[in-house]
Amino acid sequence: MSLLDLKLIRDLRALKSQAAAVAIVMACGLAMMIMTRSLIVSLETTRDAYYRDNHFAQIFSRLKRAPNSVAAQLAAIPGVATVQTGIALSVTLDLPGVIEPATGLIQSLPEQGELTLNRLHLRAGRILVGRESTGEILVGEAFAQANQLKPGDEMAAVLYGRRQQFRIAGIVLSPEFIFEAPPGASLPNNKTYGVFWMPYKELARASNLDGAFNQLSLRLVPGASEPAVIEAVDHILRPYGGRGAYGRTSHPSHTRLRDEINILNGLSIGFPLVFLSVAAFMTNAVMSRQITLQREQIAILKAFGFSNGEIGRHYLKFSIVIVASGTALGVLGGVFLGERLVDLYHVFFRFPALKFQLASTVVVLAVFVSSIAAIIGVAGSVRAAVRLPPAEAMRPEPPSSYRPALVERLGFGRLFTVTFRMALRNIERRPVRASLTVGALALATGILIVPNAFRDGIGHVLDYQWDLIQRQTVMVSLIEPSPVRTLADFKALPGVILAEPVCGAAVELRAGNQFRRLSITGLPAQAELYRVMDSNGRQITLPPEGIVLSKKLAEVLGVKIGEMLFVRGLEGKRVEFSVPVAGLSEDFAGTAAYMEIGALSRHLGEGDRINAAYLTVGAGQWNEFLRAMKASPRAGSVVVKNKIRQGFRETTAQSIGLLQKIYLTFAAVVAFGIVYNSARISLSERQRELATLRVIGFTRGEVATVLVGELVMLTLIALPCGLLIGSGFARVILMTVNTEFVRLPLILTAQNYAFAVLVVSVASMVSALLACRRLDQLDLVGVLKARD
Amino acid sequence: MAHAAFTSADSDLVPVFQARALDKIYGEGEAMVRALAGVDLECRAGELVVVLGASGSGKSTLLNLLGGLDTPTSGSLFYRGWDLGGADEAGLTRYRREAVGFVFQFYNLIPSLTARENVALITEIAADPMTPEEALHMVGLGARMDHFPAQLSGGEQQRVAIARAIAKRPAVLMCDEPTGALDVSTGKAVLEAIERINRELGTLTLIITHNSVMAEMADRVLTLSDGHITGEKHNRTRAAASTLAW
Repeated sequence: MSLLDLKLIRDLRALKSQAAAVAIVMACGLAMMIMTRSLIVSLETTRDAYYRDNHFAQIFSRLKRAPNSVAAQLAAIPGVATVQTGIALSVTLDLPGVIEPATGLIQSLPEQGELTLNRLHLRAGRILVGRESTGEILVGEAFAQANQLKPGDEMAAVLYGRRQQFRIAGIVLSPEFIFEAPPGASLPNNKTYGVFWMPYKELARASNLDGAFNQLSLRLVPGASEPAVIEAVDHILRPYGGRGAYGRTSHPSHTRLRDEINILNGLSIGFPLVFLSVAAFMTNAVMSRQITLQREQIAILKAFGFSNGEIGRHYLKFSIVIVASGTALGVLGGVFLGERLVDLYHVFFRFPALKFQLASTVVVLAVFVSSIAAIIGVAGSVRAAVRLPPAEAMRPEPPSSYRPALVERLGFGRLFTVTFRMALRNIERRPVRASLTVGALALATGILIVPNAFRDGIGHVLDYQWDLIQRQTVMVSLIEPSPVRTLADFKALPGVILAEPVCGAAVELRAGNQFRRLSITGLPAQAELYRVMDSNGRQITLPPEGIVLSKKLAEVLGVKIGEMLFVRGLEGKRVEFSVPVAGLSEDFAGTAAYMEIGALSRHLGEGDRINAAYLTVGAGQWNEFLRAMKASPRAGSVVVKNKIRQGFRETTAQSIGLLQKIYLTFAAVVAFGIVYNSARISLSERQRELATLRVIGFTRGEVATVLVGELVMLTLIALPCGLLIGSGFARVILMTVNTEFVRLPLILTAQNYAFAVLVVSVASMVSALLACRRLDQLDLVGVLKARD
Repeated sequence: MAHAAFTSADSDLVPVFQARALDKIYGEGEAMVRALAGVDLECRAGELVVVLGASGSGKSTLLNLLGGLDTPTSGSLFYRGWDLGGADEAGLTRYRREAVGFVFQFYNLIPSLTARENVALITEIAADPMTPEEALHMVGLGARMDHFPAQLSGGEQQRVAIARAIAKRPAVLMCDEPTGALDVSTGKAVLEAIERINRELGTLTLIITHNSVMAEMADRVLTLSDGHITGEKHNRTRAAASTLAW
């Protein structure tokens, strides 16, 4: 080992806590980058393999009913490779020991052989192959786990108004339900919603669809045009109540997973960048101080004949050691956190095996990025060091010159104490360093705002959806459209206080070239239980003529209030009509269109009918109500609002909770690292000054105040900047989740701000106190006798 | 609460310092150094004492103990009857704050503060200080009060340091090689300022130096060697600082 390297080791030992602070901040950035990038790789490769191995379809459609012979026509469409038809049926479930009903989707298994598309992956028990009627059922894993169901257990479902008992044959996964939730949901609710499979015959009999199908999946030959096939499919299915075919990009489970990957993508760039810039700044601060302290040593080395290159390399090695330890720590942290997050992702996304894959390219990238950060950090001071002629370097640095601070020049100097003025002048003398410290602390504050803004946004959406818009206790959907008088039957059920009708109609809305397929919800003009709200939180009265759209839907379709919208029915009489846009509603999950129920029925021309009802039920008769409901022949599915709400709460708490902890820790580390390093550097630069104050009778506390006063000032400037930056971060990140499926409002609460301020203040305070402990070790006499 | 000794009026009856068998040992075993060995000493108010000695003679150690920067290993040390030798950290800080003014070889001014503010640093925390302006006038720097240290010459900086030391009206002024970094004529100006303070304020003044010429301006000259006081000389008359030459 060369003597310079020996010096390096000893110098590093003396600088260990500061070097560690830099390495840890760097490690936080790298851990985050490795965690998110590896997760993206894990999700994408696992998804692609799953899609490929289990033959995930490329085009999907639902329809009212078509004879099985139509499948041949579909197969004959140019570009179609495989066709799979089947039945899908919404059901209400009756689980033993659970009072509230759950809902689900049952799909058929082929009469012969296994599914050709969207093949199931068996988790436990066995697959049902080629059976007619067995009274057996396959259950999706998420629902089975949430309700602790295993093969051999019994459960009941109400199929088309008839209650049937099933035995669970197997627990399965499907590439169609990686995200096992009702279409449009942003979070799963596995306790109350599940997916099931049973043999075709049995399901067909139960739903009066023998010899027919109501859903299909297609796979295309390579190079086929998806839009052309979709058009052909729609054309063939039109007479059979086709509801419009769509590709993977509109598939609920697929899009939800894609949205998640997009969010991770944003996180994998933004936050690591913040941490690594802070680490670069810290490296620079530590190294320039080190080089200043070693001016004379550098001069002597140069006088002895060491070249600039050798000296430059010597100091670069400092940063290499920091980068190496930061990277090692970052990789370990990234893998650790990544594995925790994978466990969490398992709650949302069901794959046969989602394993954390450390993306090796990411590690290479991480080393590269952090090396660049460190080199940027150290280059300036190393250049300054090697440039200095030896004779000059051997002289002490000229005394620092100061001038009155700006506030003093403006004439306010007398308002401040002498020590306060010292701090002001020190800050002003090194504006770049002061601004970088402020910037770094502001970033630490800012990153704390994001996870809480997420939490508050989701909380707002849930409260908005469940308190302001939907005020029912339960929603009952009927197995088939029924006359309005059916409502009276529900009103007569035990405990029902209020019942309101809902009518849904599958339509295509078109404005110019833009169109969307969805269901218009028909409601009473001034409904009590489902209130359509505008962006000011006022209820919109549904007009006798005209349609109210979600703001996002109007934006997508490019229409404004007063403009006409063309509506084409996709079911029943397939009427076509135009309505004016009468209002815009504010909602956050999915997109919706509303009409007054009478007006909708008039346009559909099928008489007054309803297909769901909202009910409020008195708490006293809840159990009686549920019993009556489960036995009701008309109820297709019953959704209990509080149950869903609670499920959402739990899932969000779980997911946001972990992220919050990660961000909290990282932000605290950054705040801690910056303040600690600044205090240590300040202590080193000003030890003579501080020792003088001690000698002339300042107490330890008073001297500590002088030392940290400057940092307190910088922190005070940084905090409001950080709140602004954090709000900006939150806005940008929430914009990435502003899709047609999910939108999150930007909710910034005083608590969120207070929390960020508190965390950064406490972290700064603790690190400042730690640095102040060094004041005790100050050799008063020694420092004062030394020459500057 | 300040000890009465720190603030009480001068009393000629009680010596300012009273030291008996004062020992200071640094290190242990082979590295042990006995910097002071059984020093007995008394100093009275108004005296100007010059302590002479070569490097390593123990003179700085003596100043550290008298100035409350360190505590003795054994022996007794009293400041106006208060046990300075047995004081704790907080007691020493209070003592330095209220009773002692220091002047060092390398000035040790705060670079970010002007001359006036460097002095004000003390006047803000002292019990009965003079104004910074008064103190700076006493050292002849009335005209340069708003200059920063970097804008002052070495002699001017040292005089600011003296003004800072005396602004709290200390009972003791400790000067450690006050002219060590200065040329002769500036050094003389600094000594004149110290002499004036001693005369006009009646402050017990201790000057530590290896420059024997300064002995002539003292009331009493102590010589230290190997941790012992090896000589003590009383000057019948003090020479004026302006007449010294080295």
